[in-house]
Amino acid sequence: MAVEEYWAPATLSDALERLRGGDVTILAGGTDLMPQSHAGRVTLARGLLNVRRVPELRGIEAADGGVRIGALCTMSELMRDPLVREHFGILAEACDHFASDQLRNAATLGGNVCNASPAGDTLVPLLVLDAEAELASKPDGRVQFRRVPLSAFFSGPGRTARAPDELLCAIRLPRPPAGFVGRFYKAGLRPALDISAISIGIGGVPGGRALGQARVAYGAVAPVPMRARRTEQALEGAVLDAATVERVAAIARDEVRPIDDVRASAWYRRELVFNMTRRMLGDVAHA
Amino acid sequence: MTVIEKSSLIGRRIAKLDAPEKASGQTRYVHDLDLPGQLHGSILRSARVHARIRRIDVSKARALPGVHAVLTAADVPYQRPLGVGKDQLPLKGDKVRSRRDEVAAVAAETVEIAEAALALIEVEYEDLPVLTDPSKALEPGAPVIHGENLAPPSPHDSLKPGEPGDAEAHRHNVAMTFDYAQGDVAAGEAESDVVVDDWFRLHYVTHCCMGVSGVIAEFDRSGNLTLHSNTQVPFLHKREFAEILGMDPGRIRIIQPPIGGGFGSKLDIYPFEPIAVFLAKATGRPVKLVFSREEEFVASPTRQPVLLRLRSGAKRDGTLTFRVCETLHDNGAYTSWGATTPFVMMQTISSLYRVPHCSYHTTAVYTNNPYAGSFRGYGNLQATFAVEQQMDELAEKLGIDPLEMRLRNAQEPGEVTPQGMHFRTCGLRQCLTTAAEASGYREKHRAALAAQKAPGHRKRGVGMASMLHVGGGAKIYPSDGCGTILKIDDFAHVTLMTGASEIGQGSETVLAQLVCEELGIPLDAVTVVNNDTDITPWDVGVHASRTTFIGGNSAIGAARKAKAKILAAAAKVAGVAEAELELRAGHIVRAASGEALMSLAKLLRSLHFSDKAELVMTTHYYEPPSRHQDKAFKGDVSAAYAWATQVVEVEVDTDTGVVRLVKVTGAHDVGRVLNRLGIEGQIEGGIVMGQGYAVTEDLIVEDGVVRNPGFRDYKLVTAPEIPEMDIHFIETMDGEGPQGAKGVGEAPAICMAAATANAICNATGVRIRDLPFTPEKVYRALHAAAAPAKAP
Repeated sequence: MAVEEYWAPATLSDALERLRGGDVTILAGGTDLMPQSHAGRVTLARGLLNVRRVPELRGIEAADGGVRIGALCTMSELMRDPLVREHFGILAEACDHFASDQLRNAATLGGNVCNASPAGDTLVPLLVLDAEAELASKPDGRVQFRRVPLSAFFSGPGRTARAPDELLCAIRLPRPPAGFVGRFYKAGLRPALDISAISIGIGGVPGGRALGQARVAYGAVAPVPMRARRTEQALEGAVLDAATVERVAAIARDEVRPIDDVRASAWYRRELVFNMTRRMLGDVAHA
Repeated sequence: MTVIEKSSLIGRRIAKLDAPEKASGQTRYVHDLDLPGQLHGSILRSARVHARIRRIDVSKARALPGVHAVLTAADVPYQRPLGVGKDQLPLKGDKVRSRRDEVAAVAAETVEIAEAALALIEVEYEDLPVLTDPSKALEPGAPVIHGENLAPPSPHDSLKPGEPGDAEAHRHNVAMTFDYAQGDVAAGEAESDVVVDDWFRLHYVTHCCMGVSGVIAEFDRSGNLTLHSNTQVPFLHKREFAEILGMDPGRIRIIQPPIGGGFGSKLDIYPFEPIAVFLAKATGRPVKLVFSREEEFVASPTRQPVLLRLRSGAKRDGTLTFRVCETLHDNGAYTSWGATTPFVMMQTISSLYRVPHCSYHTTAVYTNNPYAGSFRGYGNLQATFAVEQQMDELAEKLGIDPLEMRLRNAQEPGEVTPQGMHFRTCGLRQCLTTAAEASGYREKHRAALAAQKAPGHRKRGVGMASMLHVGGGAKIYPSDGCGTILKIDDFAHVTLMTGASEIGQGSETVLAQLVCEELGIPLDAVTVVNNDTDITPWDVGVHASRTTFIGGNSAIGAARKAKAKILAAAAKVAGVAEAELELRAGHIVRAASGEALMSLAKLLRSLHFSDKAELVMTTHYYEPPSRHQDKAFKGDVSAAYAWATQVVEVEVDTDTGVVRLVKVTGAHDVGRVLNRLGIEGQIEGGIVMGQGYAVTEDLIVEDGVVRNPGFRDYKLVTAPEIPEMDIHFIETMDGEGPQGAKGVGEAPAICMAAATANAICNATGVRIRDLPFTPEKVYRALHAAAAPAKAP
């Protein structure tokens, strides 16, 4: 079906009003939406709702001791932002593996989150950073907000906890604990411009050959980008000698649930999870 | 007295003449052309891999506003078979044999309407048993892909080697066979101290031209057909279009807009081209038909996939004794040039190194897969992959350094091989030593061997491979020639009309340069016209790395005739003997002193506007002194042969299987460097194309369906992965070549996969004979893990 109506509201309230009316497709950067609709994987609704003029969806600012990143922030903006680079480096690192310069200039963080691809490049670092999604809706004439932890936001490939009348306004990141370090790894033939076979994010506070408050997340190894809680538990308080690193990496290998597809087999994905988790933890231990 | 010093353009760094236009986006490719009244054509392709067409209903499509024609085979009863094998009709009527098969076509006011009309066409299929594994094609009871008689019947009475098969062979899924033999392989094997015997598997890749396939077909009111076409072979296609369309070839004009890359993909005629003509005929309007990128992946040719078994032997001292090569070519559903790659493959098997005894056999079998065409290197990447890995294997078994092994068997200048190739110039030995020394091959190879078992996940290794390829045309057709018409106007501006097409390789620039060199005029005094069969003289086409050599010699011939005319006239005017005159910087000068006697323009005007009433216009047709092969595939098919050695240095991550190319050192026998900037670009581009073939590119075909028809999952090499390159030119000054040059277009892509395989083996001790070296495959090989069962 062809798009019959196009809306470009200038306020959040107007945008939410349109959403409440239903039968609209939300357009931000369009870098996922357009190829998917072209390939017939997404059917555009009757109305196309361009949210790019909504001011509440913009900006990167300090909030609640952490940061609030507007859903419309592009990958290029995230990579360049001093606040993000200083306190949330793992996110800037992932953006540096995101597609090409042209796409980074157009693709938005909100779009990457709502597209909910198991291989979405920013999702693994956001999980490691304990991100929350800030959602807005206008069910009864008044704008309402709610927050959902990102670890509870994804429900399947392309599916999220966002209700049809809700708009993702921002991603909120709490300030990480003192001494927090995060590392991102993306397996692919090319440094960027590649859909990852797997991706790994590991964060925590290194010290005494251990990784405290460890957070581990994996991409492209399950229907949703996932936090690996069992792997995190195994890390807590463990001294990262060679045997422990092997043991933790083996737990991670068991914890992921990959599939075979055109990019990699499930077996190879598990091998990568094991080898690269081991390598990344080894780096922590030797840091 | 004005003195003009002698100067030369040869070997200089000259920017391509079309570079400003292309870099600034001004070039008008076929995509950018729109003719008044033009309609847009679009093709409905088969939804099935192998099926009978029971019924096609186009009524809804025809009823869609904006649609001017909907054609199926039933609407075009005059269709004739096309392509190398003449084994398909443009529109398929009763049966589809692959997913690229053309079932119906639409001409409409816009691309969008045409696409919408395609979606309204109803096709009822009856599935037939599918054959997508070439190794099962010859089994009794295998599904038969062909065997029906196309009208008119095949002109081939019996299956001749190197000729498309007849209907009887087709009934057994055999499209083509090739057999070649020299010496006595049994005797060679008997005198061998070591023998290696391996299977090699070569995969599908495709050209990925920036300019996708496209054509505009237009009839005038007198019934003359003009095609704006991306073809690489306009003159051959003029004739073939005439046959397919039942037209007088004299009424067909082919104009080539600037072509956005060919690499061999535009060497055959494909169904979309006559379909555009059918649509133009049906509507009386110009019809433009340009592929989408996805369509280009699905419906343009691939490189020939090959299953290859090679057995090679050597004596204790490293001397090669014999080679036996058998290949199974997956022909796909139809026969295009891919099936004929054995012409080139057997040259590498028999003659890259001296081998006294040799046999070669290919069977190309029909399947329901995509079909392969010509692609830069033409089978040589595949053959070199096997031959050069076995050179390393033999060296290892004999405890000989791989470089020494190659030097011991290297061809020399003057050699006439048992296959009949005469290497008048041959720089193989210099290529080998230059590439090895510049890269530090020996030391790195030894160091990597010693470090194979060392701890750590990053392994470095170095590998080499050499290649032999035609460099002076290839006498495949009745003529391998090229014609030139040269005219000089009253202002000493030259228009060079050449049959040689520009497809991005830089021929326009090098031909202008060669003419300037003869006539002593600056480069901006030449206009090259090379894209209109109504104007330019005949040429066989852009293939076989022939254009600089053949088109260059033709241009030089025409320029020399013009020069002779000019100097004869100047001698009379100046009262000086012709032999004492030269042309420099737009002037007639005394050869000895450089004294300028008169401007060339003034002399030309004095010829034109005088009682002589003469214009300087010349023609030349150059036919290289090469020979056709005989029925046993023996003969000196090229007027010169190109050589190269490339050394590839890799880093293998044993945790992930990722192979990174660190550095490529190349030494190329190019005869002579004409345009240094152009040849560097061509070699760098070829190296990257070869790198893609080796490590990233993989057209995934499962059950006859292309699974990755887009640049997201078909992975071209991008800028960050391009290795450091160190390129050396070996100038052997070929006696027949234009200013000593040989062809080089295909050469740089040929060695890369083989050298990379050897480098991976040097780094890890694991030899992989299955392309491409994608991370998962390399990882499995390193960890000796079997390939997984296919996902359900």
